[in-house]
Amino acid sequence: MKFKDGIKEKNIIIKCGSDVFLPFSLIFALYVILTAPVGGGFQGGVLGAAAVLLIYLGYGYDVTRNSINPEILRINEACATTIYALLGFAGLVFGANFCRNVFYANGWLTGFVHDGTIGLMDYAVGYNVMTGVGFLLILMLGFLAPVEEAKKAKKKEDEK
Amino acid sequence: MIQHFPVMAVMLLFLGAFLVAIFGRISPVIRDGIAILIATISLVLIYALIKPVMIDGQIISYWMGNWEPVEGYAIGIGYEVDALGLFFALLVVTTFWLSGIYSLGYLKKDANKMHYYTLYLMLSASVLGLVLTGDLFNMFIMIEIMTFASVALTAFRNKQAIALEAAFKYLVLGSIGSSMTLAGVALMYRVCHTLNMAQISSIIGGEFNLTTIMAFGLIVAGLGVKSYIVPFHTPAADAYTAAPTSISMIFSGMVNKAGVYGIIRMVYVVFRAMDRSSIQILLVVFGAVTMFIGVTMALAQHDFKRLLAFHSISQIGYVITAIGLGTALGLNAGLFHAMNHTLFKGLLFLTAGAVLTATGTTNLDKLGGLSKRMPVTTVCFLVGAFSISGLPPFNGFASKWMVYQAIYTKAVESGNILFAIATITALIVSVMTLASFIKVTQAVFFGQENPENANAKEVPVIMQIPMVIMAVLCVLTGLFYNVVEKFLLAPAAGAALGVSNYIDKMMGAGYAKAAGITDIEAAPAAFSFWNPLVWLLLFVVVFLGVYIVMATSKSTRGRMLEGGEGYDPKYATFFSGEQEEFSQVGGSDLFWGFKTDWKGYYKVLQGLHSGIVTDYASYIVMGAAIIILVMFICLR
Repeated sequence: MKFKDGIKEKNIIIKCGSDVFLPFSLIFALYVILTAPVGGGFQGGVLGAAAVLLIYLGYGYDVTRNSINPEILRINEACATTIYALLGFAGLVFGANFCRNVFYANGWLTGFVHDGTIGLMDYAVGYNVMTGVGFLLILMLGFLAPVEEAKKAKKKEDEK
Repeated sequence: MIQHFPVMAVMLLFLGAFLVAIFGRISPVIRDGIAILIATISLVLIYALIKPVMIDGQIISYWMGNWEPVEGYAIGIGYEVDALGLFFALLVVTTFWLSGIYSLGYLKKDANKMHYYTLYLMLSASVLGLVLTGDLFNMFIMIEIMTFASVALTAFRNKQAIALEAAFKYLVLGSIGSSMTLAGVALMYRVCHTLNMAQISSIIGGEFNLTTIMAFGLIVAGLGVKSYIVPFHTPAADAYTAAPTSISMIFSGMVNKAGVYGIIRMVYVVFRAMDRSSIQILLVVFGAVTMFIGVTMALAQHDFKRLLAFHSISQIGYVITAIGLGTALGLNAGLFHAMNHTLFKGLLFLTAGAVLTATGTTNLDKLGGLSKRMPVTTVCFLVGAFSISGLPPFNGFASKWMVYQAIYTKAVESGNILFAIATITALIVSVMTLASFIKVTQAVFFGQENPENANAKEVPVIMQIPMVIMAVLCVLTGLFYNVVEKFLLAPAAGAALGVSNYIDKMMGAGYAKAAGITDIEAAPAAFSFWNPLVWLLLFVVVFLGVYIVMATSKSTRGRMLEGGEGYDPKYATFFSGEQEEFSQVGGSDLFWGFKTDWKGYYKVLQGLHSGIVTDYASYIVMGAAIIILVMFICLR
């Protein structure tokens, strides 16, 4: 079976596997990131980025490239880093050193940021790694993809 | 309040990089505005530290997240700003601020400027962080960011093949350097169980065992790759040529200064090895070889920027030689020359960029007669050329004089022939520098005008401002060298030698004394411009050296070059008459006699600079092996 612009469809079992595991992997990634105060940001972020690989395995490079916009990933990564840096500066605002954990169990907003800014900073790390590694994976898969497929995706993007 | 300034300066630059990445697409004004605003804030924050650190003699220590040492062990990341770090930080902020202003005008025709400004701010932040940090691993991270930002910026004009080639070479060779540093840092952590430089210094206490010698060698070699001393210089020439000129200025002004700073910090403060004559000789030999090979390579170039790149290597040789002496005067001289190199080489790169903007080429054989069309650029170039050649009253004269004096004093004191040879090398290299800048002046700004460049115009004002600022700084630091010496060099040299203050401020008062650390004994810098008898002796030695070189070289005097291989009527003006078309004495022609005399030497160099990355990688490994071997032999 072929799509109209000539993309070969993959085996139905692989596609179904990809469909089934994608939500689980994303939820697991989110779970690991949300255990952030003990340092799950980086690991969770990498797990989340692996979703790109699942889509690639199930549907091939073209669909991956169409379903995820690298430009948005790039801007999100920059946002994540900005959030991290601003949270680091929060320490300065509250009269301590850079990166100091503030808002720590001081009653204000307790329950949401009960771990203080260090937890939020770890969420930011997760966000950053997820977007950054996802971006990298898309770039690297571009090298793996057959030349015609990559060219087609590039052409389609240029037309946009 | 003041203790927050260093970390704010570094982190604002990183923040600015990502703000540019988010908002840069909206409009060019916002993009340029963010970059310049952040760079200016950073400049002001660092300049505000001059009074407390340089004049009042404070040392700023700063623990990230207030993670102070627990039971005498430094577990957090610490920033420590002493006069030495601040001295280099001042060079860094000045360079990237001027480069930022210049790139506003310089990058008019380039696409993807958002990427440029993001990487520019990342590079600035990483180098600033490197010179301000007090943590060995943090230093390595900053080196990594610096290397990759540099690689990406080298490839910025990726429509040119040379940009991609240079970036690839830089990537491979720079990564080898980073890996060596990382291996050294890992070994240090194994031995000391801490990464804080102050604490490592007090734990090692100037004594070496097998592991620390290995680590020392690896770290110094890794930092040597970053400062492009021979034989690690090979990626520099391509990278400086291919990068946009504002970035070439950053490379020569701060990136290789970061390597020099790292070496000074390691040999003087962390490992405290400079009281050993073996390490002194090692650094002086590497420095002398670097300056000689750099300048002879520069004489053979015909690309403006490539020539400047090799001069950059050569001038770093002066700095390494001077700091390798282990005396207060040598340290003063090395720091002064590092500062002056930042100023005049930055200026020269900016003029090269102006020529590139006006004419579209930096090939010396295709330029000529630009002085009428570009008067401001010409004057600025002449100031830079006079400075780098060491003509009074420009700054290069003062610092080179200090370097000569330092090496010569050391040679007289220690009676070691190697230091005497290094003195003569330094003098000869200075003459050759002057010669090669005569060539550039003749080939670019004076001489016959190339009709192709008939509509070259002076560059816009926004590009002239940084050039004029740098030229003025070159003159001022040359005229008021004693002010510079008093307020910048003496505190910085004192900080490098006064290790116990550095340790005490970071780890708590009395820590250094408890560990038995004493400052390096060094006579105070006695810097004077004139001591007739000693200098008479020196000139006699130099004369003998030059005479021997001339007597042994194959003379071409009295022989006519005619017929056969290598004969070109272009050089025989009286034989063939002047040609009508543009035939100016180009970059490759002016010193052809010298190059003919030194044919054998140049043949060897030509074979070595093959352009093959694996060759260059093997030089780096060999250089590192030599450093480690010498250290194992001498420090055991």
